[in-house]
Amino acid sequence: MQHVANLTVAREQVASPAIEVRSLSHVYQGRDGAVPALAGIDLSVGHGRFTVIVGPSGCGKTSLLLMIAGLRRQAAGEIFCEGRPMTVPDPARIGVVFQEASLFPWLTAIDNVEFPLALKHMPREDRRARADEMLKLVGLEGFGGRYPHELSGGMKQRVSIARGLVQDPPVLLMDEPFAALDEQTRMTMGHELLKIWSETSKTVVFITHSLTEAVYLADEVLVMSARPGRIIDRVAIELPRPRTYEMMATDVFGRLRERIWHQIRVTT
Amino acid sequence: MSRSYQTLVRIALFAGLAAAWELFPRAGIVDAMLLPPLSDVLATLIKLLGQPNVHEALAVTAAEVIVAFLIAVPIGALIGVMAAENEYFGEIIRPLLFYVFSIPKSIFLPLFILALGIGFPQKVAYAAFSTVFIVIMSASAAVESVKAEHTLVARSYGATRSQIVTWVYVPSMLPILLETLRIAMIFNFTGVMIAEMYASRTGIGHLIANWGENFMMPQLFAGVVLLASMSILFNEAIRTLEARCSTWRT
Repeated sequence: MQHVANLTVAREQVASPAIEVRSLSHVYQGRDGAVPALAGIDLSVGHGRFTVIVGPSGCGKTSLLLMIAGLRRQAAGEIFCEGRPMTVPDPARIGVVFQEASLFPWLTAIDNVEFPLALKHMPREDRRARADEMLKLVGLEGFGGRYPHELSGGMKQRVSIARGLVQDPPVLLMDEPFAALDEQTRMTMGHELLKIWSETSKTVVFITHSLTEAVYLADEVLVMSARPGRIIDRVAIELPRPRTYEMMATDVFGRLRERIWHQIRVTT
Repeated sequence: MSRSYQTLVRIALFAGLAAAWELFPRAGIVDAMLLPPLSDVLATLIKLLGQPNVHEALAVTAAEVIVAFLIAVPIGALIGVMAAENEYFGEIIRPLLFYVFSIPKSIFLPLFILALGIGFPQKVAYAAFSTVFIVIMSASAAVESVKAEHTLVARSYGATRSQIVTWVYVPSMLPILLETLRIAMIFNFTGVMIAEMYASRTGIGHLIANWGENFMMPQLFAGVVLLASMSILFNEAIRTLEARCSTWRT
């Protein structure tokens, strides 16, 4: 019986998208009363897809991400991850990578990566081995003993990514992870992220302000309107993989970027 | 090179001051009656440290300082953390704290004497009173120094409330908490000394006040040297700990 039950669960997971958001709305209490923040968001992200969300500042992108992660409660609507509702954070299903300042400055790089495992009381040697593996994956072998203030901005974000992946969740949510980096480092990091993504076959939802980054990384770009945030366009990026820097100079790339830019400009 | 040079200059400055203290009174540049030479002061200090009445005074003062510290720090920390964590409580109490904080605590000393006499309880109560406000302020600042991003990260990895406290709050607050201990001790020690010098039957502050009134300069300076050394020792011990955490203070 147990066996059959497991099979059913497995089949459901395959059938359902990695992330599903149904008529999600949110309102927050401002000084002058209720402010609608998100209005009727519907989205579905398939397994192993790389989805990028762009939109004007204050459109509620980060709120949406925090709600998907179970870190903030929505006013209305439902969120499912791997076929089950998300109401509280669940690191077994979702890993989150935040902006630059999210590493703990009192822990070394490897201790930062081990942090999620330590919370679960995993034995010390096991979690060290796992964290070593993750640091290797993000190209930081040998840097585990450094403190965050001894690492460059790009390296810090590699550590954050390693931390997000350390529990091997099927979904990775990334909230403007490269926003604080200079343009060159940012492009390199994007490229590295795609490599990691193709090696680990994670489902990624990635928020950014950079349209070039969005087109370069995504399978699909979701464009959000100004507050209250709605999804006003879904742009499929049908550039071949693996992506290369040369693609940025192509007409297709330029047209996609232009289309997204037009949508954002119209709403702000 | 420049670091060791700096140390050298510091030692030279210190030695220079000590030498001036020794030589100026001996050479008659300053009145030896007012400022006895350093060697005389140190000799008096050693003699004093062998006297039972000094032992007793030191024991009383130490007990007052420790008890007042143990009262003021936990109470202040608790109120400070509550004021920072509970928005409502914080809004209510903050103005009052700022008002009381700005008042020199010594003007309340006569009230403490009228209420509690001039014994041990009055010294402890006054010192704790003069210390608790700075602890409240610093503890609030320590809580506010916890970054929201760090709490969010911990929550996203499923940390429980108590895990967030031990893994995020404590290490985030540690540098400021250590600084708080150090500054609290300065306020606390000052409180005990003022209370003892103002009205008391025993305690090292009482002895110092007495020696001063009776123009017993070697004893007075010996007392000053003793108390100064103790304060500096405590302060530097905590500062060493603070320096260890300074790398992750941003």
